[in-house]
Amino acid sequence: MSVTIAVPSKGRMKDDATAVFERAGLKIASIGNDRSYRGVLKDMPDVEVAYLSASEIARELGNGGVDLGITGEDLVREDLGAAEEQVEICARLGFGNADVVVAVPEVWLDVDTMADLGDVASHFRSRHGRRLRIATKYWRLTQQFFSAQHGIQVYRIVESLGATEGAPASGQADIIVDITSTGSTLKANHLKVLSDGVILNSEACLVRARSGGRSPEDEAALARIVDSVRGALG
Amino acid sequence: MTLKQPEFADDILSLFSQRSTQTVDIPVIQPADPFLDMAGEDLRRRIFLTESETGQSLCLRPEFTIPVCLRHIELASGTPQRYAYLGQVFRQRRDGGNEFFQAGIEDLGNADTAAADAAAIMDAGDTLSVLLPGTALATTIGDQTVFEAVVAALGLPDGWQTRLIRAFGDQDQLDALLAGLSQPPIDVPGLDDEAAALLATGDEAGLAALIDTRMTATGYLSNASRTPAEIAGRLIEKARLSSAHLDAKALDVLKTFLALNAPLADAPGALAAFARIAGIDISAALAGFDERVAALKDIGFDASTARYRAAFGRPLDYYTGLVFEVTAQGSVLAGGGRFDRLLTLLGARTAIPAVGFSLWLDRIANMRAQANGGAGR
Repeated sequence: MSVTIAVPSKGRMKDDATAVFERAGLKIASIGNDRSYRGVLKDMPDVEVAYLSASEIARELGNGGVDLGITGEDLVREDLGAAEEQVEICARLGFGNADVVVAVPEVWLDVDTMADLGDVASHFRSRHGRRLRIATKYWRLTQQFFSAQHGIQVYRIVESLGATEGAPASGQADIIVDITSTGSTLKANHLKVLSDGVILNSEACLVRARSGGRSPEDEAALARIVDSVRGALG
Repeated sequence: MTLKQPEFADDILSLFSQRSTQTVDIPVIQPADPFLDMAGEDLRRRIFLTESETGQSLCLRPEFTIPVCLRHIELASGTPQRYAYLGQVFRQRRDGGNEFFQAGIEDLGNADTAAADAAAIMDAGDTLSVLLPGTALATTIGDQTVFEAVVAALGLPDGWQTRLIRAFGDQDQLDALLAGLSQPPIDVPGLDDEAAALLATGDEAGLAALIDTRMTATGYLSNASRTPAEIAGRLIEKARLSSAHLDAKALDVLKTFLALNAPLADAPGALAAFARIAGIDISAALAGFDERVAALKDIGFDASTARYRAAFGRPLDYYTGLVFEVTAQGSVLAGGGRFDRLLTLLGARTAIPAVGFSLWLDRIANMRAQANGGAGR
C-alpha cells in the first residue's frame, strides 16, 4: 500500500506548496526530470507526489483518488457536493489568500447589501423582461449564498470561465461572483464588493480525503505528514 | 425502485375525469429555462439538465404546472380549462428516488376564485380519501393575500412590504427582516459626497444625470442593465426605507398574526378578532378568505380536519392567494395553491387566474402498502 499527496503543478501555488513541505522537513524528489508530474517524498519513499492543477486536486480529493492535497478552499467548497463528508481541512497554510465575493457596478449607488440586491432581483423581471444575471464560475457557492443564506431565489447564473469581471460592462451579466485577492481588478472594472458580500475567505489548505479502508501504515504516514506541516506553520 | 405506473393510476385519472377535466400529455423532455426562470437557480441542483446539439438547455420535467401552463398558452385554447395530468417527474432528492409519479389538476381561468380554490382543496382531499380509505388526513391552509393585507395595513413603505411579502413562507428570512425592522433607522451607507448631497435634497433627476455621466465615463452601457433613472429612483426609495422602522406595537401585530393557527371553521372568526384587536382594516382580504371557507362548506368539504396557519406560504413570486397541503402521519401527500401571476410571467397576453394541486404518488403508494401489510397480518 502507499499514499498519494497532490501538489499544485504550476505557478505561485506550486512554489509556496513546495516551500511549506520543505519547512516541514518533507523534501520532494521529482521522478525523472524537474518538469515531471510525479515525485516521492525523499524521506518517505512510499509516499507518492502527484503534480495536478488546483481544481483537479479538489476533485481527486473528493473521489478519493489522492489521499492528501494542497488546494484552495474555494475549489474544495465549489467542486465538492458534500465537502464536509468527503474531505477534512487539516491546516490553513497562509498563502493563496483570496475572497469569493459578490460585486456589482460601482454606479449602482443604491446597492450596498445583499438585501438591496434582493430588492433589485425581485423587480428585475418586471422592469427588464428577464431575471438578474450573475456571471460566475462558482455555481454552487453562488446558489448557497443567494438562495439558502439570503433567500434570493430569482436570478440566473451565466457561466463565465475567464475575465468574469468584464461581464457587467459588456452587458453579458448584471453582476458577478468572483475571487479576488487585492480587489484591484474589480476596481479597474468599476465594480464594488457588497458590504455583506464576502461569500468565503479562501486560502490554500492542506486537505485530507475521508476515504475509508486505508491500512494502519498509510494512516500513520498521513498523520505524520499532517503533523509535520502543522508543526512547520508554528 | 420500480418505474411502473402505480396500480391506482387509472383510478386517479377516472376520478379526475369525473370532475370535468381533460387529461393532457406533457413531453418528458422540456426546455429548462422556464423552470429556472420561475423557480430560480436553486432548482438547477435538483433537476436533470442536458443540452441539445444546438446548445439549448433541456431538462427532464421536474413538475407539471409550468409545462401545462405553457401548453395552454401555446394552444391558445381559451379559458376556463381544467387540465388533469399523471406522469413521472424527475428531481434529485436526498431522500427517496429521483424519479417518481405525480398527478394533479390545474384549473385555469375560472373567475370565481373562491369556488375554484374550494374545488382544488376538495378534489385533492377526495382523491386521497379514495386512495387511502381509513387514513386520517390533515389539511393545512395558508393565504398570501391575507398576509399581504396585514403588511400593507401596518403603513410601511412599499419597499419594506415587498421584502416581507417575498419572505412569506420562509421563517428564517422573515425573522431576520423583522429583527431589522425593529432597529432604529440608519443612514444610506456607501455613498460618495456628490451623490449624498443630491440625495439629501431629493434631486432624483440630478442623481440620474450623475449616474449617467459615470456610466459613460466608465464604459458601462446605460441600456444593457439597470438604467440611471432606475438606480436614482431606487436610491430615493431606499433613503425612505432606511428611515422606516416598525414600532413595538406594529411588530407585535405582525408576530401575533404569524402565530395564528386555528381550525378552518374558526379561522374567519379568529382573523376578524385579530383585525379588531390590532385595529387594522383588512376586510377586503378577509372577505375573500370567508368566501372560500363558505364555498368549501357549500360543496360539502369536511372542515374538521383542516386548519388555517397564518405563516404557511411559499416564497416564490408567482404564488398569490391560497396555499394548501394535505398530510397523513406527517408526510405531505398533496400540495397546491393559487398562482395568478404565473401565466403572464410565462408569456400569456392577459391575466389568467389559476389554481391547482399535485399528488405525490410514491408517498401514497408507500402508505397504501403499509395499510395492506398491516391488514394482511
